[in-house]
Amino acid sequence: MYTESLQRATLWIERGLNKLFSQRYNPFYYHGALPNFFIWALFLSGLLLFAYYQPTLTNAYQSVHYITFELPFGNMFRSVHRYASDGMMIFIILHMLRVWFTDRYREYRILPWITGVILLTITFVLGLSGYLMIWDPESVTLAHITFNLLQKLPVFGEGLAEFLMAGQVITDYTLTRFLFLHLGIPLLMMFMLWLHYMRITRPVSEPPLPLVVMLTGALFLFSAAFPVGLNALPPGQTVPIIAGPGSISSMMEFDLLYAWPQYLAAAKGVPPVLVWLLLLAVPLGLLVLPYIQKKALRGQYAQVVRENCTGCSLCYHDCPYEAITMVDRGNDGTRFKRLAIVDAGRCANCGLCVGACAFKAIEIPRRETGTVLAEIEAALATSTS
Amino acid sequence: MTTTENGKLIGIVCERSVDFDGKLNDDGYMLDNPDVKIIRVPCSGHIQPIMLETALKNGAVGTFALGCRMGDCHYREGNKFCRERLVGKRMPKLKPAVDKRRVQAYWLSAVEYDKLQAMVSEFSADCRKMPAPEAKPAAAKAPAKKP
Repeated sequence: MYTESLQRATLWIERGLNKLFSQRYNPFYYHGALPNFFIWALFLSGLLLFAYYQPTLTNAYQSVHYITFELPFGNMFRSVHRYASDGMMIFIILHMLRVWFTDRYREYRILPWITGVILLTITFVLGLSGYLMIWDPESVTLAHITFNLLQKLPVFGEGLAEFLMAGQVITDYTLTRFLFLHLGIPLLMMFMLWLHYMRITRPVSEPPLPLVVMLTGALFLFSAAFPVGLNALPPGQTVPIIAGPGSISSMMEFDLLYAWPQYLAAAKGVPPVLVWLLLLAVPLGLLVLPYIQKKALRGQYAQVVRENCTGCSLCYHDCPYEAITMVDRGNDGTRFKRLAIVDAGRCANCGLCVGACAFKAIEIPRRETGTVLAEIEAALATSTS
Repeated sequence: MTTTENGKLIGIVCERSVDFDGKLNDDGYMLDNPDVKIIRVPCSGHIQPIMLETALKNGAVGTFALGCRMGDCHYREGNKFCRERLVGKRMPKLKPAVDKRRVQAYWLSAVEYDKLQAMVSEFSADCRKMPAPEAKPAAAKAPAKKP
């Protein structure tokens, strides 16, 4: 299978990273937690920007101008906000690729995968809404291309464009709508993250302190070295003029991670249909992906041996997928009060519960402890005879 | 006598950890270390301490658990739990009476056979230098399975 070699490649990269970072702080072992670091960086830097941003046609550019050139450390925090958004997208993509390559995205992991694809889409829209808020000439160009692209989408297009524009034409409310999206989508993101973590007993949701320090340092250094700045208005203007769609060179300020559909749409000879097909193909393809590969588990799951179960709940605590629940066992003639039961849909068939059980009361059919013990004894019996 | 030259080692290994394809003979012994028998389980978290105890009780000169790199368990926490059980921080624990010099645990990824082979060779040599395990409390305490 193609995944086999991809997994090998991932492991070789990690072998190298272990040398560089040590196993304990290997960033690949915190691939899911690293986007959360950027959420914090974005939240904190965004708070400052939010305090000074004014979402109106006349003031948006001026307030960003004030943040950039007059507010102490304003440009620094704008830069941190911008680069953290890039970092977030990059690390989300790395996270996604790693769970895909190491086959950790399907069957009992289907809920995290689906919510993950939704989170990726949400992050994409969120980043885009941030670029629209700057409202310098480039940002206005981006907005125009975005509106035009939306209007080309059949059935929903007109409605979506009107929703994003908050009306038929660009007004003060348009910028309020951008701000609403930029503050509202993170709430949706929090809800999705909750779903994302729901079936994981102990999610690794934060990277270790040394990595946090390293990334924070990198963010600030990068921001100091390459401050984002702000494009000047054409001479004589105090507010960007809302002209027609601009040329592609005038929005080179935006990075491809978030604005690639707009770049594509602005390129010569690319029909909007193609942009939309590509735009929809990414999330839909990712959603279909887990169903393409053949299932590995084929309906197997851990089996509780009722006579042996003492209701001690060791397996319940150790199960990494919340697949085991402890129930009242009723009056079944034993002196024990509780019984472990397995939720087949959540069970990974991994056998962590087997390792946790001291009473031979839970087994996974593909590798029974009795067989393992018999193999050990058989191997040693031949050596002594 | 104190000889353990013919003693065997039992390795209980996670099937997603070090890749043994082409490295074992038909009976499951390592080609590079013919005294080391490899027994595969789905995850190092599946390893019960009693499996390692059984190996020593039945005359293995050494035994080891092998799981994936810490931080990279396919099932999230298997290797972590296995390590905690072996060092006595999580139930069920390895019995205190077990000769800890004869128990090892390695955490390596599928592409690190070379590292494992080096460490197992060293461990195997160390086990051989030790006096032969006698019927110690560990064996005496464990419930006798065979007459």
